[in-house]
Amino acid sequence: MRSERFSPRAALGRAAPHLAFAVVFFGAWELYGRSDDAQLPAVSAVATAMADMTADGSLPSALGSSMQLLVIGFLSAAVAGFVGGVLLGRYRPLDRTLMPFLSALYAVPTVALVPLVLVWLGFGLSGRVTVVFLSCYFPIMMNVYAGVRDTPPELIEVSRSFLVRSEFGLLRTVVIPAAVPFIMSGLRLGIGLGVVGMAVAEVYLRLGGIGALIAAYGATFRLDYLFAAIIPLPLLGLLLTKLFTLIERRADAWRAG
Amino acid sequence: MSKSAGPLDDAGIEIDGVGKTFRWRNKGVAEEVVALGKVDFTVRSNEFLAVIGPSGCGKTTLLRTVAGLIKPDRGEIRVGGRPVTGPGEDRAVVFQHFGLFPWKTVVDNVKFPLRMRGVPDKEAAATARANLKKVGLEGFERSYPHQLSGGMQQRVGLARALATDARILLMDEPFGAIDAQTREFMQEQLMKLWDENKKTVVFVTHDLDEAVSLADRILVLSRRPSRVRAVVDVDLPRPRWDYDVRSEPAFAEARRTIWEMLRSDLVEEEEGAGIHAI
Ligand SMILES: Nc1ncnc2c1ncn2[C@@H]1O[C@H](COP(=O)(O)OP(=O)(O)OP(=O)(O)O)[C@@H](O)[C@H]1O
Ligand SMILES: [Mg+2]
Repeated sequence: MRSERFSPRAALGRAAPHLAFAVVFFGAWELYGRSDDAQLPAVSAVATAMADMTADGSLPSALGSSMQLLVIGFLSAAVAGFVGGVLLGRYRPLDRTLMPFLSALYAVPTVALVPLVLVWLGFGLSGRVTVVFLSCYFPIMMNVYAGVRDTPPELIEVSRSFLVRSEFGLLRTVVIPAAVPFIMSGLRLGIGLGVVGMAVAEVYLRLGGIGALIAAYGATFRLDYLFAAIIPLPLLGLLLTKLFTLIERRADAWRAG
Repeated sequence: MSKSAGPLDDAGIEIDGVGKTFRWRNKGVAEEVVALGKVDFTVRSNEFLAVIGPSGCGKTTLLRTVAGLIKPDRGEIRVGGRPVTGPGEDRAVVFQHFGLFPWKTVVDNVKFPLRMRGVPDKEAAATARANLKKVGLEGFERSYPHQLSGGMQQRVGLARALATDARILLMDEPFGAIDAQTREFMQEQLMKLWDENKKTVVFVTHDLDEAVSLADRILVLSRRPSRVRAVVDVDLPRPRWDYDVRSEPAFAEARRTIWEMLRSDLVEEEEGAGIHAI
């Protein structure tokens, strides 16, 4: 098996293009931001705003409450998406009956559902969690479904030949292990969309979290603070997606590499 | 397990008028293949039976029905006098497609049937290792299937079936992917194992020489819809590994008999195809 030692030089080498791009990009931004008719706050101004919001505690506490929303919404979608995907993937009548409707629902942008969710569930935590849930449920469920459908029938036969008799036994010994790569990519897509859903829910509701900061600073045209509030979102998305990519790679160790 | 010859302990297989037709729909059109016409045959307890026949004649299908993986739609299969209703502890299959779980290591693949039979982990691991040694795969326990060659993967499948210590081994071209030298080694290993520890072996192969040099009897199937074409006895003394089987007159004779049957099937098939083309 391949063993990869961590080497700082190699890591720097890999990161060099990204670093170079970041330097050029933020450099140009800074220069433009300092010009008189700039429509953008300079990078340094955004950094100052960020430091300010960190010092007064508003950014960390907003991040904290956003994360709480994200975690609850994502975990419930992961559980429900897993169960739904397995049921639909293994149980034909259910698949035939429900899949057309679910596919149609999948095509509706989550944002379009937000007003409906609010009418039904109100402005409390449950409404926001539902928005996050809806944004990550479908990619997770659809991937689990695809993975379950993709199980090689000959491996199911192998398991049966070695005395695995129950449907639950087949799920445990073949179907779910074979679907792991699909499940992992579903979770990775789901967490990314969950971050988007989290921001949508909070901005729309102007209630707590990063989204509320964005809404508030947007309304008062304080662009440096607005940017300082927006920047954590893509960073969070990137970080979580990266984390899931790493877990995915570990789970896939058995794949031809 | 005691091996006294009582009716319940009997590892013979009665294949009683077994037929199987696969049906499916292709773009709304119903299609079917008669994979097994009507097969009547009895495998004796503890015999080494080779099964040979044209490609696609239903050898794998027959093995799957005996294994209890698919139900025949005509006839019945009995093992030790009892009708087969599904897979059982008395039978273990070596699959033509190897059938290894790619997410499990080699040793975990071999442990699998033991764990499913409730054998404790430690004991299962020890049995798995011993059987991997028998097929010459010591040192590969922690590898994943994709890291092995086709022939090595096939031997893992063999070790897995052997580890169960089932009375009946159903082997579907178990050496098909193995190179010539390893194949001879594996054939000898299998002969020795079977000699030490009597089992009923049903051994599907495409290789005439292999069939004749291993088996007590050879079941020759006709092309589809398959029936029993002939049963050929191989009268070669055992053990067969300490002399040159292939130079025996009995070897050449059995080989020629079967070859002529298979060849006439091929000729008929060509003529059949000719008629269709007109
Ligand atoms: N699940 C299935 N659905 C439809 N047709 C099938 C199925 N399994 C087998 N068949 C067909 O049944 C026939 C017999 O197949 P089988 O695999 O038993 O042949 P075989 O003798 O093992 O062939 P080979 O020597 O190539 O391994 C073939 O025509 C095959 O296409
Ligand atoms: Mg076959």
